[in-house]
Amino acid sequence: MLTDQPLTARTDLSSGAKTEFFDELLDAHDEPRPAAAAVVEQLRKLGRSELESRQNLADLEILTQGITFAVYDDGTNIDRPWPFDVIPRVIDASEWKSIEAGLTQRLVALNRFIDDIYNERLVIEAGVFPIELIRDSVNYRPECRNVRPKYGAWAHISGSDVVRDSDGQVYVLEDNLRVPSGVSYMLENRAISKIAFADLFARQSVQPVDGYVDKLRELLCALAPDGIRDPCVVVLTPGIYNSAYFEHSFLARRMGIELVEGHDLSVGEDGYVYMRTISGRERVDVIYRRIDDMFLDPSELRADSTLGVAGLMQAWRDGKVAIANAPGAGVADDKVVYAWVPDLIRFYMDEEPLVPNVPTWRCLYPDELRFVLDNMRELVVKPANESGGYGVMIGDRASDEELAATRAAVLANPRNWIAQPILALSVVPTLCDDGVAPRHVDLRPFILSGPFSYVTRGGLTRVARREGSLIVNSSQGGGSKDTWVVDMTHPIPDTTFA
Amino acid sequence: MLLARAAESLYWAARYLERAEDTARIVREHTNLIVDLPTVVPVTWAPLLAITGEELTFTSRFERADELSVLRFLVADRENRSSIVSAIAQARENLRIVRELVPNELWHAVNDLYLYIAGNNAEGVVRASRRRFLDRVISECQLAAGITSGTMSRSEPHAFIRLGTYIERSDMTTRVIDVNAATIGAQGEGVMHGNVQWASVLRSVAGLQMFRRSTHASATGETVVAFLFADELFPRSVVFCAEQVSRSLRTLPNPTALVDQCRVLGSLARSIEVQPLDLVSLRRSVDDVQRASADLHAAVTAQYFAVEAEV
Repeated sequence: MLTDQPLTARTDLSSGAKTEFFDELLDAHDEPRPAAAAVVEQLRKLGRSELESRQNLADLEILTQGITFAVYDDGTNIDRPWPFDVIPRVIDASEWKSIEAGLTQRLVALNRFIDDIYNERLVIEAGVFPIELIRDSVNYRPECRNVRPKYGAWAHISGSDVVRDSDGQVYVLEDNLRVPSGVSYMLENRAISKIAFADLFARQSVQPVDGYVDKLRELLCALAPDGIRDPCVVVLTPGIYNSAYFEHSFLARRMGIELVEGHDLSVGEDGYVYMRTISGRERVDVIYRRIDDMFLDPSELRADSTLGVAGLMQAWRDGKVAIANAPGAGVADDKVVYAWVPDLIRFYMDEEPLVPNVPTWRCLYPDELRFVLDNMRELVVKPANESGGYGVMIGDRASDEELAATRAAVLANPRNWIAQPILALSVVPTLCDDGVAPRHVDLRPFILSGPFSYVTRGGLTRVARREGSLIVNSSQGGGSKDTWVVDMTHPIPDTTFA
Repeated sequence: MLLARAAESLYWAARYLERAEDTARIVREHTNLIVDLPTVVPVTWAPLLAITGEELTFTSRFERADELSVLRFLVADRENRSSIVSAIAQARENLRIVRELVPNELWHAVNDLYLYIAGNNAEGVVRASRRRFLDRVISECQLAAGITSGTMSRSEPHAFIRLGTYIERSDMTTRVIDVNAATIGAQGEGVMHGNVQWASVLRSVAGLQMFRRSTHASATGETVVAFLFADELFPRSVVFCAEQVSRSLRTLPNPTALVDQCRVLGSLARSIEVQPLDLVSLRRSVDDVQRASADLHAAVTAQYFAVEAEV
């Protein structure tokens, strides 16, 4: 009878030579961290072939459930199966509590900032924030001036990416306030984990994640104009060819609300928004839009947009329909504005940031620009408004051509660039082609803001698939993991359904 | 509160699923027939093209209507929007758009079938594996129907699935009768193995067993045409389909004009003259039924899918 392949040094989850990176599951002696003890012990017992068969089970489930995402630069595929690694990332619940508090604080400050920028501009009067940044900001929308959305909330749904450096400190890497995606994959990752690792969940209390959908629905309903008892909420999608369509459909389904496209909606003579149904038109009160600002309204923004609704901006300004996230929220979704967030927290809340920013040099300022130009090989240099990881130059691995091109771009438009130290992102054991090996990860928790604040229990862990790579975005080949917030004190039974 | 665009996707998903199932059954049965009959009987593969109505597309892409070409066209050709692979792909695309409205298992079943067909459509073409392939297509379509029937609430989305299913089914049954009546009729008075051929027609719409139980007579042009058009109880007869469409319409907003059109379709099907079975007048009657069916589809489209936003 064949025995299972014994775990070798490559498969026993050890970090091996890479001790300069913080491993989320293992300490410097390859011993499991307390919250990860049950996971690591179980994984070590399983053996490589069993681990691989759990991975295969997960992959099969993803394929049959049709959990996909779309990549554009691939000639043939529209859809790719969602890349998932079975080994979870674990966070101690007490650490999570402090991260949660920091993210909540951050989003309160950011929402106050956005509301202030479109109204009194106290932060500029006080000299805390430079007005040039608003004037030059690509995401600032003059169409939103003097608008006061309910609760002063503009970025109702945000995803703030969090990383840990080799010193063990957690930092916020960037704030995504426009149309952040990934929460559906966070939820599906948990559902897949429960199938692949049912035995593991029995041994410890992992905080459930499914509460997010209920909270999202509650938030969206609360945004409806006052006096409406049973608000009509819809998800507005660009359609099935959008890379995040899976998520749009997923969320609409989970919340039990309609998924609409631009041409399903129109603004009536009364200024309200209506959707086309088989019974004629029905009024819409809240739109959770997954469309970029510029495509929302061809009568005011991009005229060539076929994704939006003519007259939508006016309906919003008149308070006849609520839009989440509000148009113009992107003014704070800017890698340059990011550098001011600690100052904004101090200004609006008179508090010190609970979770720090990554140290950031702003090329807008000549002395900081000089530092960046003199030290490019030691820095990550980023443009303010690219998403998906494109345009980022990582100094210690860029070619001479890339470096020169970036230098030229920075000099041409300094306002658009920031730089940060090259972080030694933490790693998590990941099942790779030749066994289990450490790979860099980041984390995207999602934060809801409105009449209440809510942070997901963990979030989407994104993992770089190539050894040494720091690029974790799925559109560039990154993968993902389930994120377990493990409560070491009060066990919470996980009774949610997949 | 059902979006017009969603209703349209539900309707077409159902039509394409029905089309795939019916096509698979027709091809399966025609293979049996050709294998069964002595080669002297002039049965060819060309009638299958006529049933699906895609002769022009076929002749533009293939030289001869031989077995392999026709099979390739009907089973595996992406350029033929009525092929089994295209129909399932389109059913899946439509379901994807309305995933929130249908049972999860329905999506899985169709997605699974799509993945199978995408990977194995060559098996549906060659005789050695054709039977197994077609059996699977048919049973997976029936699985989809069972999931819908067993777990989907009888609300508006369900009504549109029923509309698509029965309008497509009625149309297919009509075409099967039309083409076979012409093919068999063309063999004239001295038709060889007429019973076998008419029994095959019944099998191609899963009707032989039920026909035998209800009609204590042998399978002839008269009895089979009457059964497939006008039997009140058999779920694939034109009359039955019209009645189901009518019932579903009555659960939707403002159905009156459409229900009337169903009545017209039903009575046309009921009044088909079969004694005696005169091919010319049968042709005319079939044309009337097909026109009524097309009118019904157009009316459903105009009423529910092409909604203007302004009041």
